[in-house]
Amino acid sequence: MNPPVAGDVCPAQHYTHSTVQLFRFSAVSWNSHRIHYDAEFAASEGFPDVVVQSTLHGETLTRYALAWAGPDSRLETVSWRNRTTAVAGEPLTWTATVREVEGARVSLDVAVVKADGTPCVTGTVELALV
Amino acid sequence: MNALDEVLARARSLVGRWEDEDCGTVTVKDFCRYAAALNDADYIERARKQEAAGAVVEAPALFLAATMSWEDGPPERELRPDGLATRESPCTEGLPVRQVHGGQTVRLLRAPVAGDRVTASRAVVSAERKQGRSGAFVLLGLTTRFTSADGTELTAVDETIVVREAIDSPGAT
Repeated sequence: MNPPVAGDVCPAQHYTHSTVQLFRFSAVSWNSHRIHYDAEFAASEGFPDVVVQSTLHGETLTRYALAWAGPDSRLETVSWRNRTTAVAGEPLTWTATVREVEGARVSLDVAVVKADGTPCVTGTVELALV
Repeated sequence: MNALDEVLARARSLVGRWEDEDCGTVTVKDFCRYAAALNDADYIERARKQEAAGAVVEAPALFLAATMSWEDGPPERELRPDGLATRESPCTEGLPVRQVHGGQTVRLLRAPVAGDRVTASRAVVSAERKQGRSGAFVLLGLTTRFTSADGTELTAVDETIVVREAIDSPGAT
């Protein structure tokens, strides 16, 4: 990879979260909120299906950023704001643009967006290139 | 006083009151199960090789931050109707409200490694009533600091929780 510069657009990543993954992530993170694994309960709160965990979005923001930066990168900070819920099986896309490069530190503006471009989460990932 | 006023009053009485939680000693198996839930087979292979070689095994980056609770329980009968435990739902016990995460900031200060004994210190740090496009809500701010047994700070998490009235609540919008 060429040294990143501000304005670089990272290759987008397309993915979905399955209901099985949402259940397993709830289990391993000891998150028993029913909106994440009980579709009937999620519907009672106005959601079309079980809801992707905020922290799973945070993982996605981080992991694709680390994959883009390569094996010598390390996460320093990730910050995100939830804007719209995403549900199981929904096509999602990770997007990122280099905001700033300062020495061995790179910050990215990141987002998870729906198929129609609506952002589910937006935030910033700061990486150290060690 | 409606449900949101009550949430606000409870939250403001808790602001700045820190509580410690023992997260126990974290293990390679904990890390690998977490990675498995992320479908990260590469992490598992790498971690098990490091363990076999006697090397230090670092946790996945957001392992501490993403784990909602380190309690042994509670049993199902003690969960709220929405499945949350009282501890995970500060200030809302018994009230007709629903809640979702607003957002998080996670700072990694030193990677937790297998064998670390970890303590989580948590507090409500702010509580505000807000008006959004879909009605009134209370925005709770929480901070969690994870430290190792020698006091080294590992991970710091600042998060917000959005509390709204329940959909079937008389005052809901």
